[in-house]
Amino acid sequence: MLAASGSERHAAERLAGCSADFPLLTDAQQEQSLHYLDNAATTQKPRAVIAAISECYQEYYATVHRGLYPLAEEATRRYEQARQQIAGFVGAAAPSQLIFTRSTTEAINMVAYGWARTHLSAGDHVWVTRMDHHANLLPWQRVCREAGARLRVIELREDGTLDWQAAEGLFDRHTRLIALCQVSNVLGIVNPVQEICEQAALRGIPVLVDAAQSVAHMPVDVEALGCDFLAFSAHKMYGPSGIGALFARPERLAEMEPLLLGGGMVDRVTLDDSSWADYPSRFEAGSANLADAAGFAAAVAYLNQLGMDRIHGHVSALTRRALDSLAAVPGLQLLPQAGVDRSGIISFTLDGIHPHDIAQIAGERGVALRAGHHCCQPLLQSLGLAATVRASFAIYNTEADIDALLSAIDAARRLFESG
Amino acid sequence: MATDTLYKDILLEHSRHPRNKGELEGADVVCRGSNPRCGDEVEVGLFMQGERLQSVRFRGRGCSVCMASSSLMTEAVSGRSRSEARDLCQQMQAWFTPGDGADVAEPLPALGALEAVRGYPARRRCVLLSWEALSEALASLP
Repeated sequence: MLAASGSERHAAERLAGCSADFPLLTDAQQEQSLHYLDNAATTQKPRAVIAAISECYQEYYATVHRGLYPLAEEATRRYEQARQQIAGFVGAAAPSQLIFTRSTTEAINMVAYGWARTHLSAGDHVWVTRMDHHANLLPWQRVCREAGARLRVIELREDGTLDWQAAEGLFDRHTRLIALCQVSNVLGIVNPVQEICEQAALRGIPVLVDAAQSVAHMPVDVEALGCDFLAFSAHKMYGPSGIGALFARPERLAEMEPLLLGGGMVDRVTLDDSSWADYPSRFEAGSANLADAAGFAAAVAYLNQLGMDRIHGHVSALTRRALDSLAAVPGLQLLPQAGVDRSGIISFTLDGIHPHDIAQIAGERGVALRAGHHCCQPLLQSLGLAATVRASFAIYNTEADIDALLSAIDAARRLFESG
Repeated sequence: MATDTLYKDILLEHSRHPRNKGELEGADVVCRGSNPRCGDEVEVGLFMQGERLQSVRFRGRGCSVCMASSSLMTEAVSGRSRSEARDLCQQMQAWFTPGDGADVAEPLPALGALEAVRGYPARRRCVLLSWEALSEALASLP
Protein backbone atom coordinates (compact mmCIF):
# COMPACT_ATOMS: atom_id res chain seq x y z
CA MET A 1 0.00 0.00 0.00
CA LEU A 2 1.25 3.46 -0.87
CA ALA A 3 2.18 5.93 1.82
CA ALA A 4 0.71 9.41 1.53
CA SER A 5 2.96 11.54 -0.63
CA GLY A 6 4.15 14.98 0.35
CA SER A 7 1.74 16.71 -2.00
CA GLU A 8 -1.17 14.71 -0.63
CA ARG A 9 -0.22 15.66 2.91
CA HIS A 10 -0.11 19.26 1.81
CA ALA A 11 -3.55 19.00 0.22
CA ALA A 12 -4.90 17.41 3.38
CA GLU A 13 -3.63 20.32 5.44
CA ARG A 14 -5.15 22.92 3.15
CA LEU A 15 -8.52 21.20 3.27
CA ALA A 16 -8.35 20.36 6.95
CA GLY A 17 -10.33 23.37 8.09
CA CYS A 18 -13.16 23.03 5.62
CA SER A 19 -15.44 21.10 7.97
CA ALA A 20 -16.00 24.49 9.64
CA ASP A 21 -17.89 25.47 6.47
CA PHE A 22 -20.53 22.82 7.17
CA PRO A 23 -23.01 23.91 9.85
CA LEU A 24 -24.47 20.46 10.39
CA LEU A 25 -21.04 19.05 11.18
CA THR A 26 -19.96 21.85 13.48
CA ASP A 27 -23.03 23.42 15.10
CA ALA A 28 -23.32 20.29 17.18
CA GLN A 29 -26.98 19.50 17.59
CA GLN A 30 -26.06 15.91 18.34
CA GLU A 31 -25.09 14.80 21.79
CA GLN A 32 -22.02 13.10 20.36
CA SER A 33 -19.74 14.12 17.52
CA LEU A 34 -20.83 13.01 14.06
CA HIS A 35 -18.45 11.02 11.87
CA TYR A 36 -20.27 11.28 8.58
CA LEU A 37 -19.06 8.53 6.24
CA ASP A 38 -22.14 8.13 4.04
CA ASN A 39 -20.99 10.62 1.44
CA ALA A 40 -21.61 8.32 -1.51
CA ALA A 41 -25.30 8.46 -0.57
CA THR A 42 -25.38 12.21 -0.09
CA THR A 43 -23.08 14.94 1.17
CA GLN A 44 -23.55 17.67 3.77
CA LYS A 45 -23.95 21.26 2.63
CA PRO A 46 -21.53 24.13 3.13
CA ARG A 47 -22.79 27.49 4.39
CA ALA A 48 -22.19 28.99 0.92
CA VAL A 49 -24.78 26.65 -0.62
CA ILE A 50 -27.33 27.19 2.11
CA ALA A 51 -26.81 30.95 1.81
CA ALA A 52 -27.20 30.90 -1.98
CA ILE A 53 -30.58 29.17 -1.73
CA SER A 54 -31.72 31.55 0.96
CA GLU A 55 -30.41 34.56 -0.97
CA CYS A 56 -32.42 33.53 -4.01
CA TYR A 57 -35.69 33.50 -2.08
CA GLN A 58 -34.85 36.73 -0.27
CA GLU A 59 -33.43 38.78 -3.09
CA TYR A 60 -34.24 37.73 -6.63
CA TYR A 61 -36.88 35.03 -6.68
CA ALA A 62 -39.36 35.13 -9.57
CA THR A 63 -40.39 33.06 -12.56
CA VAL A 64 -37.66 32.11 -15.03
CA HIS A 65 -37.92 32.72 -18.81
CA ARG A 66 -41.44 34.10 -18.51
CA GLY A 67 -41.62 37.51 -16.84
CA LEU A 68 -40.90 40.87 -18.44
CA TYR A 69 -40.44 42.80 -15.20
CA PRO A 70 -36.95 43.44 -13.78
CA LEU A 71 -37.22 40.87 -10.97
CA ALA A 72 -38.07 38.08 -13.40
CA GLU A 73 -35.28 39.20 -15.69
CA GLU A 74 -32.87 38.97 -12.79
CA ALA A 75 -34.21 35.49 -11.92
CA THR A 76 -33.66 34.39 -15.52
CA ARG A 77 -30.19 35.87 -15.57
CA ARG A 78 -29.23 34.02 -12.37
CA TYR A 79 -30.66 30.74 -13.63
CA GLU A 80 -28.68 30.95 -16.86
CA GLN A 81 -25.60 32.03 -14.94
CA ALA A 82 -25.95 28.89 -12.80
CA ARG A 83 -26.21 26.78 -15.93
CA GLN A 84 -23.09 28.42 -17.33
CA GLN A 85 -21.12 27.78 -14.12
CA ILE A 86 -22.16 24.12 -13.89
CA ALA A 87 -21.60 23.51 -17.61
CA GLY A 88 -18.14 25.05 -17.22
CA PHE A 89 -17.44 22.84 -14.21
CA VAL A 90 -17.75 19.69 -16.35
CA GLY A 91 -16.04 21.28 -19.33
CA ALA A 92 -19.04 21.61 -21.65
CA ALA A 93 -18.28 23.72 -24.71
CA ALA A 94 -21.54 25.67 -24.35
CA PRO A 95 -23.96 26.22 -21.45
CA SER A 96 -26.87 25.12 -23.66
CA GLN A 97 -25.47 21.59 -23.58
CA LEU A 98 -26.39 21.32 -19.91
CA ILE A 99 -29.98 20.38 -19.07
CA PHE A 100 -31.23 20.78 -15.52
CA THR A 101 -32.93 17.63 -14.21
CA ARG A 102 -34.12 16.49 -10.80
CA SER A 103 -31.31 13.99 -10.39
CA THR A 104 -28.83 11.67 -12.06
CA THR A 105 -31.65 9.14 -12.25
CA GLU A 106 -33.87 11.54 -14.17
CA ALA A 107 -30.98 12.49 -16.46
CA ILE A 108 -30.36 8.84 -17.39
CA ASN A 109 -34.06 8.19 -17.87
CA MET A 110 -34.21 11.26 -20.10
CA VAL A 111 -31.62 9.69 -22.40
CA ALA A 112 -33.24 6.25 -22.22
CA TYR A 113 -36.71 7.47 -23.18
CA GLY A 114 -35.84 10.62 -25.10
CA TRP A 115 -32.96 9.31 -27.13
CA ALA A 116 -32.49 5.54 -26.93
CA ARG A 117 -36.13 4.65 -27.49
CA THR A 118 -36.11 6.29 -30.90
CA HIS A 119 -32.65 4.94 -31.79
CA LEU A 120 -33.02 1.28 -30.82
CA SER A 121 -34.27 -1.47 -33.09
CA ALA A 122 -34.61 -5.21 -32.69
CA GLY A 123 -31.19 -6.83 -32.69
CA ASP A 124 -29.34 -3.76 -31.42
CA HIS A 125 -27.16 -3.96 -28.32
CA VAL A 126 -26.92 -1.63 -25.33
CA TRP A 127 -24.02 -2.24 -22.96
CA VAL A 128 -23.88 -1.56 -19.22
CA THR A 129 -21.46 -2.85 -16.60
CA ARG A 130 -21.77 -5.35 -13.76
CA MET A 131 -21.08 -2.54 -11.29
CA ASP A 132 -23.73 -0.06 -12.44
CA HIS A 133 -26.27 1.39 -10.06
CA HIS A 134 -29.90 0.37 -10.64
CA ALA A 135 -30.43 3.90 -12.01
CA ASN A 136 -28.10 3.08 -14.88
CA LEU A 137 -29.52 -0.40 -15.43
CA LEU A 138 -33.29 -0.43 -15.08
CA PRO A 139 -34.01 2.25 -17.75
CA TRP A 140 -31.89 0.26 -20.25
CA GLN A 141 -33.59 -3.00 -19.29
CA ARG A 142 -36.93 -1.46 -20.13
CA VAL A 143 -36.05 0.31 -23.38
CA CYS A 144 -34.21 -2.77 -24.62
CA ARG A 145 -37.18 -5.00 -23.83
CA GLU A 146 -39.53 -2.61 -25.63
CA ALA A 147 -37.31 -2.40 -28.70
CA GLY A 148 -36.37 -6.06 -28.82
CA ALA A 149 -32.78 -4.95 -28.29
CA ARG A 150 -30.28 -6.88 -26.22
CA LEU A 151 -28.87 -5.58 -22.94
CA ARG A 152 -25.28 -6.73 -22.56
CA VAL A 153 -22.99 -6.53 -19.57
CA ILE A 154 -19.29 -5.73 -19.23
CA GLU A 155 -18.14 -8.07 -16.49
CA LEU A 156 -15.47 -7.48 -13.85
CA ARG A 157 -12.07 -9.02 -13.39
CA GLU A 158 -11.25 -10.96 -10.26
CA ASP A 159 -9.94 -7.76 -8.65
CA GLY A 160 -13.18 -5.90 -9.34
CA THR A 161 -11.90 -3.76 -12.21
CA LEU A 162 -13.84 -3.52 -15.44
CA ASP A 163 -12.88 -6.26 -17.89
CA TRP A 164 -13.86 -4.22 -20.93
CA GLN A 165 -11.22 -5.66 -23.24
CA ALA A 166 -12.83 -9.08 -22.75
CA ALA A 167 -16.32 -7.81 -23.57
CA GLU A 168 -16.70 -9.43 -26.96
CA GLY A 169 -18.64 -7.27 -29.37
CA LEU A 170 -18.51 -4.17 -27.19
CA PHE A 171 -17.59 -2.00 -30.15
CA ASP A 172 -19.19 -3.97 -32.96
CA ARG A 173 -21.84 -2.78 -35.38
CA HIS A 174 -24.75 -3.92 -33.16
CA THR A 175 -23.83 -1.62 -30.30
CA ARG A 176 -26.04 1.48 -30.17
CA LEU A 177 -24.98 2.79 -26.76
CA ILE A 178 -22.55 2.10 -23.92
CA ALA A 179 -23.75 3.32 -20.50
CA LEU A 180 -21.38 3.08 -17.57
CA CYS A 181 -20.49 4.68 -14.27
CA GLN A 182 -17.24 6.57 -13.93
CA VAL A 183 -16.88 5.48 -10.30
CA SER A 184 -18.65 2.48 -8.76
CA ASN A 185 -20.83 3.46 -5.80
CA VAL A 186 -20.03 0.14 -4.11
CA LEU A 187 -16.43 -0.63 -5.04
CA GLY A 188 -15.15 2.91 -5.54
CA ILE A 189 -13.29 1.68 -8.61
CA VAL A 190 -12.63 4.31 -11.27
CA ASN A 191 -13.44 3.04 -14.74
CA PRO A 192 -11.28 3.84 -17.80
CA VAL A 193 -14.05 5.95 -19.30
CA GLN A 194 -11.75 7.94 -21.53
CA GLU A 195 -10.28 4.83 -23.18
CA ILE A 196 -13.72 3.34 -23.70
CA CYS A 197 -15.00 6.61 -25.20
CA GLU A 198 -12.02 6.72 -27.57
CA GLN A 199 -12.71 3.22 -28.86
CA ALA A 200 -16.44 3.89 -29.08
CA ALA A 201 -15.88 7.13 -30.99
CA LEU A 202 -13.92 5.26 -33.68
CA ARG A 203 -17.11 3.29 -34.40
CA GLY A 204 -19.53 6.16 -33.84
CA ILE A 205 -21.01 4.56 -30.71
CA PRO A 206 -22.43 7.04 -28.18
CA VAL A 207 -21.34 6.67 -24.53
CA LEU A 208 -23.32 7.75 -21.48
CA VAL A 209 -21.34 8.32 -18.29
CA ASP A 210 -23.01 8.14 -14.89
CA ALA A 211 -20.82 10.62 -13.04
CA ALA A 212 -22.84 10.70 -9.81
CA GLN A 213 -19.91 9.35 -7.78
CA SER A 214 -17.09 11.11 -9.59
CA VAL A 215 -17.95 14.80 -10.02
CA ALA A 216 -17.38 15.67 -6.37
CA HIS A 217 -14.06 13.89 -6.06
CA MET A 218 -12.06 14.32 -9.23
CA PRO A 219 -11.82 16.74 -12.14
CA VAL A 220 -14.40 15.68 -14.73
CA ASP A 221 -14.18 17.13 -18.22
CA VAL A 222 -16.60 15.98 -20.88
CA GLU A 223 -14.31 17.05 -23.70
CA ALA A 224 -11.36 15.14 -22.26
CA LEU A 225 -13.54 12.11 -21.55
CA GLY A 226 -15.12 12.25 -24.98
CA CYS A 227 -18.51 11.09 -23.78
CA ASP A 228 -21.83 11.88 -25.48
CA PHE A 229 -23.87 12.10 -22.27
CA LEU A 230 -22.87 12.78 -18.68
CA ALA A 231 -25.34 12.58 -15.80
CA PHE A 232 -24.78 13.88 -12.27
CA SER A 233 -26.54 15.17 -9.16
CA ALA A 234 -25.97 18.26 -7.03
CA HIS A 235 -26.61 16.58 -3.69
CA LYS A 236 -23.60 14.27 -3.91
CA MET A 237 -21.34 17.26 -4.58
CA TYR A 238 -22.31 19.43 -1.58
CA GLY A 239 -25.21 21.03 -3.47
CA PRO A 240 -28.95 20.88 -2.78
CA SER A 241 -31.08 17.77 -3.15
CA GLY A 242 -33.68 17.66 -5.91
CA ILE A 243 -31.54 18.98 -8.74
CA GLY A 244 -29.14 17.31 -11.16
CA ALA A 245 -27.92 17.76 -14.68
CA LEU A 246 -27.49 16.07 -18.01
CA PHE A 247 -24.70 17.12 -20.32
CA ALA A 248 -25.08 16.02 -23.94
CA ARG A 249 -23.31 16.73 -27.19
CA PRO A 250 -25.23 19.07 -29.51
CA GLU A 251 -25.85 16.33 -32.10
CA ARG A 252 -27.37 14.10 -29.40
CA LEU A 253 -29.49 16.92 -28.06
CA ALA A 254 -30.78 17.51 -31.57
CA GLU A 255 -31.73 13.81 -31.79
CA MET A 256 -33.39 13.67 -28.39
CA GLU A 257 -37.12 13.95 -27.74
CA PRO A 258 -38.32 15.76 -24.62
CA LEU A 259 -39.52 13.53 -21.78
CA LEU A 260 -41.92 16.02 -20.27
CA LEU A 261 -44.19 18.24 -22.31
CA GLY A 262 -45.65 21.47 -21.03
CA GLY A 263 -44.93 25.11 -20.45
CA GLY A 264 -41.68 26.75 -21.38
CA MET A 265 -40.45 24.08 -23.78
CA VAL A 266 -42.45 24.99 -26.87
CA ASP A 267 -41.99 27.11 -29.90
CA ARG A 268 -45.52 27.21 -31.30
CA VAL A 269 -48.61 25.44 -30.03
CA THR A 270 -51.97 25.02 -31.71
CA LEU A 271 -54.75 22.69 -30.63
CA ASP A 272 -53.62 20.21 -33.26
CA ASP A 273 -49.88 20.38 -33.16
CA SER A 274 -46.87 21.85 -31.40
CA SER A 275 -43.23 22.40 -32.11
CA TRP A 276 -40.48 22.47 -29.54
CA ALA A 277 -38.28 25.29 -28.42
CA ASP A 278 -34.54 24.98 -28.87
CA TYR A 279 -32.54 23.09 -26.28
CA PRO A 280 -31.95 23.42 -23.35
CA SER A 281 -35.49 24.81 -22.82
CA ARG A 282 -36.92 21.93 -24.84
CA PHE A 283 -35.94 19.54 -22.07
CA GLU A 284 -37.00 21.67 -19.11
CA ALA A 285 -40.80 21.78 -19.23
CA GLY A 286 -42.47 23.45 -16.29
CA SER A 287 -41.26 26.19 -13.98
CA ALA A 288 -37.55 26.20 -13.29
CA ASN A 289 -36.05 25.16 -9.96
CA LEU A 290 -34.26 28.48 -9.55
CA ALA A 291 -33.17 28.32 -5.93
CA ASP A 292 -31.67 24.88 -6.24
CA ALA A 293 -29.92 25.86 -9.46
CA ALA A 294 -28.39 28.74 -7.51
CA GLY A 295 -27.39 26.32 -4.74
CA PHE A 296 -25.96 23.93 -7.32
CA ALA A 297 -23.85 26.76 -8.81
CA ALA A 298 -22.70 27.75 -5.33
CA ALA A 299 -21.55 24.17 -4.73
CA VAL A 300 -19.58 24.25 -7.96
CA ALA A 301 -18.00 27.57 -6.97
CA TYR A 302 -17.13 26.12 -3.57
CA LEU A 303 -15.47 23.08 -5.15
CA ASN A 304 -13.58 25.27 -7.61
CA GLN A 305 -12.35 27.41 -4.77
CA LEU A 306 -11.00 24.37 -2.89
CA GLY A 307 -9.60 22.96 -6.13
CA MET A 308 -10.61 19.60 -7.57
CA ASP A 309 -7.03 18.33 -7.64
CA ARG A 310 -6.61 19.10 -3.96
CA ILE A 311 -9.95 17.51 -3.15
CA HIS A 312 -8.93 14.40 -5.06
CA GLY A 313 -5.61 14.31 -3.19
CA HIS A 314 -7.23 14.68 0.22
CA VAL A 315 -9.95 12.07 -0.33
CA SER A 316 -7.51 9.62 -1.94
CA ALA A 317 -5.05 9.96 0.92
CA LEU A 318 -7.76 9.43 3.52
CA THR A 319 -9.11 6.43 1.63
CA ARG A 320 -5.67 4.84 1.46
CA ARG A 321 -5.13 5.35 5.17
CA ALA A 322 -8.51 3.85 5.94
CA LEU A 323 -7.73 0.89 3.67
CA ASP A 324 -4.42 0.29 5.43
CA SER A 325 -6.11 0.22 8.81
CA LEU A 326 -9.10 -1.83 7.70
CA ALA A 327 -6.91 -4.43 6.00
CA ALA A 328 -5.40 -5.18 9.41
CA VAL A 329 -8.74 -5.89 11.12
CA PRO A 330 -9.12 -9.66 11.66
CA GLY A 331 -12.01 -11.15 9.70
CA LEU A 332 -12.55 -8.01 7.64
CA GLN A 333 -12.86 -8.54 3.88
CA LEU A 334 -12.33 -5.54 1.65
CA LEU A 335 -14.25 -5.26 -1.62
CA PRO A 336 -12.30 -5.21 -3.75
CA GLN A 337 -9.25 -6.52 -1.93
CA ALA A 338 -6.57 -4.15 -0.69
CA GLY A 339 -4.17 -2.96 -3.36
CA VAL A 340 -6.80 -2.06 -5.95
CA ASP A 341 -6.91 1.69 -6.34
CA ARG A 342 -10.23 3.39 -5.74
CA SER A 343 -11.87 6.75 -5.10
CA GLY A 344 -13.28 7.62 -1.68
CA ILE A 345 -15.53 4.57 -1.33
CA ILE A 346 -14.74 1.44 0.67
CA SER A 347 -17.02 -1.58 0.93
CA PHE A 348 -16.32 -4.41 3.32
CA THR A 349 -17.80 -7.31 5.22
CA LEU A 350 -16.86 -8.69 8.59
CA ASP A 351 -16.91 -12.43 9.25
CA GLY A 352 -19.85 -13.46 11.36
CA ILE A 353 -21.40 -10.01 11.70
CA HIS A 354 -24.17 -8.82 9.42
CA PRO A 355 -23.59 -5.44 7.73
CA HIS A 356 -26.79 -4.06 9.28
CA ASP A 357 -25.51 -4.82 12.74
CA ILE A 358 -22.20 -3.12 12.04
CA ALA A 359 -23.94 -0.02 10.67
CA GLN A 360 -26.33 0.02 13.63
CA ILE A 361 -23.57 -0.22 16.22
CA ALA A 362 -21.49 2.36 14.34
CA GLY A 363 -24.51 4.66 14.10
CA GLU A 364 -25.01 4.54 17.82
CA ARG A 365 -21.39 5.62 18.22
CA GLY A 366 -21.85 8.59 15.90
CA VAL A 367 -20.38 6.94 12.81
CA ALA A 368 -22.73 7.20 9.82
CA LEU A 369 -22.16 4.23 7.49
CA ARG A 370 -24.30 2.53 4.91
CA ALA A 371 -25.21 -1.14 4.90
CA GLY A 372 -27.08 -2.97 2.18
CA HIS A 373 -26.88 -3.66 -1.52
CA HIS A 374 -26.44 0.03 -2.39
CA CYS A 375 -28.84 -0.30 -5.36
CA CYS A 376 -26.39 -2.67 -7.05
CA GLN A 377 -28.03 -6.05 -6.67
CA PRO A 378 -26.48 -7.66 -9.79
CA LEU A 379 -23.01 -6.72 -8.51
CA LEU A 380 -23.64 -8.16 -5.06
CA GLN A 381 -25.14 -11.30 -6.61
CA SER A 382 -21.93 -11.82 -8.54
CA LEU A 383 -19.95 -11.41 -5.33
CA GLY A 384 -22.23 -13.90 -3.56
CA LEU A 385 -23.26 -11.30 -1.00
CA ALA A 386 -26.58 -9.87 0.15
CA ALA A 387 -25.08 -6.75 1.65
CA THR A 388 -21.87 -4.89 2.43
CA VAL A 389 -20.89 -2.11 4.78
CA ARG A 390 -19.83 1.03 2.95
CA ALA A 391 -17.76 3.91 4.24
CA SER A 392 -17.37 6.84 1.86
CA PHE A 393 -15.22 9.90 2.35
CA ALA A 394 -15.57 13.57 1.53
CA ILE A 395 -13.62 16.80 1.83
CA TYR A 396 -14.57 17.38 5.49
CA ASN A 397 -13.49 13.95 6.73
CA THR A 398 -10.33 13.55 8.76
CA GLU A 399 -8.21 10.91 10.46
CA ALA A 400 -10.54 11.21 13.46
CA ASP A 401 -13.35 9.76 11.33
CA ILE A 402 -11.19 6.77 10.42
CA ASP A 403 -10.35 6.25 14.10
CA ALA A 404 -14.04 6.38 14.98
CA LEU A 405 -14.81 3.88 12.21
CA LEU A 406 -12.16 1.47 13.49
CA SER A 407 -13.35 1.83 17.03
CA ALA A 408 -16.95 1.13 15.95
CA ILE A 409 -15.83 -2.00 14.11
CA ASP A 410 -13.96 -3.06 17.21
CA ALA A 411 -17.08 -2.53 19.32
CA ALA A 412 -19.12 -4.65 16.91
CA ARG A 413 -16.56 -7.44 17.05
CA ARG A 414 -16.48 -7.39 20.83
CA LEU A 415 -20.27 -7.43 21.09
CA PHE A 416 -20.70 -10.34 18.71
CA GLU A 417 -17.65 -12.33 19.60
CA SER A 418 -18.21 -12.39 23.33
CA GLY A 419 -20.56 -15.06 24.64
CA MET B 1 -24.85 3.60 25.22
CA ALA B 2 -27.85 3.00 23.00
CA THR B 3 -26.19 -0.16 21.69
CA ASP B 4 -26.88 -1.82 24.99
CA THR B 5 -30.58 -1.16 24.62
CA LEU B 6 -30.96 -2.66 21.14
CA TYR B 7 -28.60 -5.59 21.55
CA LYS B 8 -30.17 -7.16 24.64
CA ASP B 9 -28.50 -10.27 25.92
CA ILE B 10 -31.45 -12.46 24.99
CA LEU B 11 -31.48 -11.06 21.48
CA LEU B 12 -27.75 -11.63 21.06
CA GLU B 13 -28.03 -15.10 22.52
CA HIS B 14 -30.78 -16.06 20.05
CA SER B 15 -28.84 -14.60 17.13
CA ARG B 16 -25.73 -16.56 18.08
CA HIS B 17 -27.60 -19.77 18.80
CA PRO B 18 -30.84 -19.64 16.87
CA ARG B 19 -33.42 -22.26 17.85
CA ASN B 20 -35.16 -24.42 15.27
CA LYS B 21 -32.88 -23.29 12.47
CA GLY B 22 -31.88 -25.63 9.68
CA GLU B 23 -33.38 -27.94 7.10
CA LEU B 24 -37.08 -27.73 6.37
CA GLU B 25 -37.41 -31.11 4.71
CA GLY B 26 -40.75 -32.75 5.42
CA ALA B 27 -42.50 -29.50 6.28
CA ASP B 28 -46.18 -29.30 5.37
CA VAL B 29 -45.72 -25.81 4.02
CA VAL B 30 -42.74 -23.50 3.47
CA CYS B 31 -42.97 -19.77 2.85
CA ARG B 32 -40.26 -17.29 2.08
CA GLY B 33 -39.86 -13.74 3.29
CA SER B 34 -37.31 -11.32 1.90
CA ASN B 35 -36.22 -7.80 2.63
CA PRO B 36 -35.30 -6.05 -0.62
CA ARG B 37 -33.63 -3.32 1.39
CA CYS B 38 -30.87 -5.54 2.72
CA GLY B 39 -31.22 -8.76 0.75
CA ASP B 40 -32.05 -10.80 3.82
CA GLU B 41 -34.05 -13.95 3.21
CA VAL B 42 -35.83 -16.29 5.58
CA GLU B 43 -37.82 -19.42 4.87
CA VAL B 44 -40.28 -20.64 7.46
CA GLY B 45 -41.55 -24.22 7.48
CA LEU B 46 -44.57 -25.53 9.37
CA PHE B 47 -44.75 -29.12 10.60
CA MET B 48 -48.40 -29.76 11.36
CA GLN B 49 -50.15 -32.21 13.59
CA GLY B 50 -53.83 -31.79 12.80
CA GLU B 51 -54.81 -28.21 13.64
CA ARG B 52 -51.66 -27.65 15.66
CA LEU B 53 -48.21 -26.42 14.67
CA GLN B 54 -46.25 -29.32 16.05
CA SER B 55 -43.06 -27.44 15.26
CA VAL B 56 -41.97 -24.42 13.25
CA ARG B 57 -38.49 -24.19 11.80
CA PHE B 58 -36.63 -21.64 9.70
CA ARG B 59 -33.56 -21.21 7.60
CA GLY B 60 -31.92 -18.28 5.84
CA ARG B 61 -29.60 -15.39 6.32
CA GLY B 62 -30.07 -12.07 7.99
CA CYS B 63 -28.85 -9.65 10.61
CA SER B 64 -28.84 -10.44 14.32
CA VAL B 65 -32.28 -8.89 14.80
CA CYS B 66 -33.74 -10.95 11.96
CA MET B 67 -32.16 -14.19 13.19
CA ALA B 68 -33.18 -13.57 16.82
CA SER B 69 -36.73 -12.65 15.87
CA SER B 70 -37.01 -15.79 13.71
CA SER B 71 -35.66 -17.93 16.52
CA LEU B 72 -38.00 -16.37 19.09
CA MET B 73 -40.89 -16.77 16.65
CA THR B 74 -40.35 -20.52 16.26
CA GLU B 75 -40.32 -20.96 20.03
CA ALA B 76 -43.36 -18.75 20.47
CA VAL B 77 -45.62 -20.56 18.02
CA SER B 78 -44.50 -24.19 18.13
CA GLY B 79 -47.20 -26.22 19.80
CA ARG B 80 -49.90 -23.62 19.24
CA SER B 81 -53.07 -23.90 17.19
CA ARG B 82 -53.36 -22.26 13.79
CA SER B 83 -55.63 -19.53 15.09
CA GLU B 84 -53.37 -18.80 18.07
CA ALA B 85 -50.41 -18.47 15.72
CA ARG B 86 -52.42 -16.19 13.42
CA ASP B 87 -53.36 -13.98 16.38
CA LEU B 88 -49.71 -13.75 17.41
CA CYS B 89 -48.73 -12.68 13.88
CA GLN B 90 -51.33 -9.90 14.00
CA GLN B 91 -50.21 -8.80 17.45
CA MET B 92 -46.59 -8.66 16.27
CA GLN B 93 -47.63 -6.48 13.32
CA ALA B 94 -49.55 -4.16 15.66
CA TRP B 95 -46.66 -4.06 18.12
CA PHE B 96 -44.32 -2.91 15.36
CA THR B 97 -46.70 -0.61 13.49
CA PRO B 98 -45.22 2.87 13.55
CA GLY B 99 -47.27 5.49 15.30
CA ASP B 100 -49.07 2.98 17.48
CA GLY B 101 -48.56 4.23 20.99
CA ALA B 102 -46.47 2.77 23.75
CA ASP B 103 -49.65 1.26 25.17
CA VAL B 104 -49.33 -1.73 22.82
CA ALA B 105 -47.76 -4.48 24.89
CA GLU B 106 -45.57 -7.31 23.68
CA PRO B 107 -47.69 -10.24 22.49
CA LEU B 108 -45.89 -12.65 24.83
CA PRO B 109 -43.40 -12.06 27.66
CA ALA B 110 -40.94 -14.30 25.83
CA LEU B 111 -40.85 -11.77 22.96
CA GLY B 112 -39.92 -8.91 25.30
CA ALA B 113 -36.32 -8.96 24.08
CA LEU B 114 -37.57 -7.39 20.84
CA GLU B 115 -39.07 -4.40 22.67
CA ALA B 116 -35.84 -2.40 22.27
CA VAL B 117 -35.98 -2.75 18.48
CA ARG B 118 -39.24 -0.77 18.39
CA GLY B 119 -37.15 2.36 18.85
CA TYR B 120 -35.45 1.73 15.50
CA PRO B 121 -37.99 1.97 12.67
CA ALA B 122 -35.34 1.03 10.10
CA ARG B 123 -35.08 -2.40 11.74
CA ARG B 124 -38.82 -3.08 11.78
CA ARG B 125 -38.58 -5.26 8.69
CA CYS B 126 -35.78 -7.28 10.26
CA VAL B 127 -38.12 -8.24 13.10
CA LEU B 128 -41.19 -8.90 10.99
CA LEU B 129 -39.62 -10.82 8.11
CA SER B 130 -40.08 -14.28 9.62
CA TRP B 131 -43.45 -13.37 11.11
CA GLU B 132 -44.73 -12.35 7.69
CA ALA B 133 -43.45 -15.59 6.22
CA LEU B 134 -45.22 -17.46 9.03
CA SER B 135 -48.42 -15.55 8.37
CA GLU B 136 -48.26 -16.42 4.69
CA ALA B 137 -47.52 -20.06 5.51
CA LEU B 138 -50.54 -20.23 7.81
CA ALA B 139 -52.74 -18.72 5.11
CA SER B 140 -51.56 -21.25 2.55
CA LEU B 141 -52.34 -24.30 4.70
CA PRO B 142 -55.08 -26.41 3.16
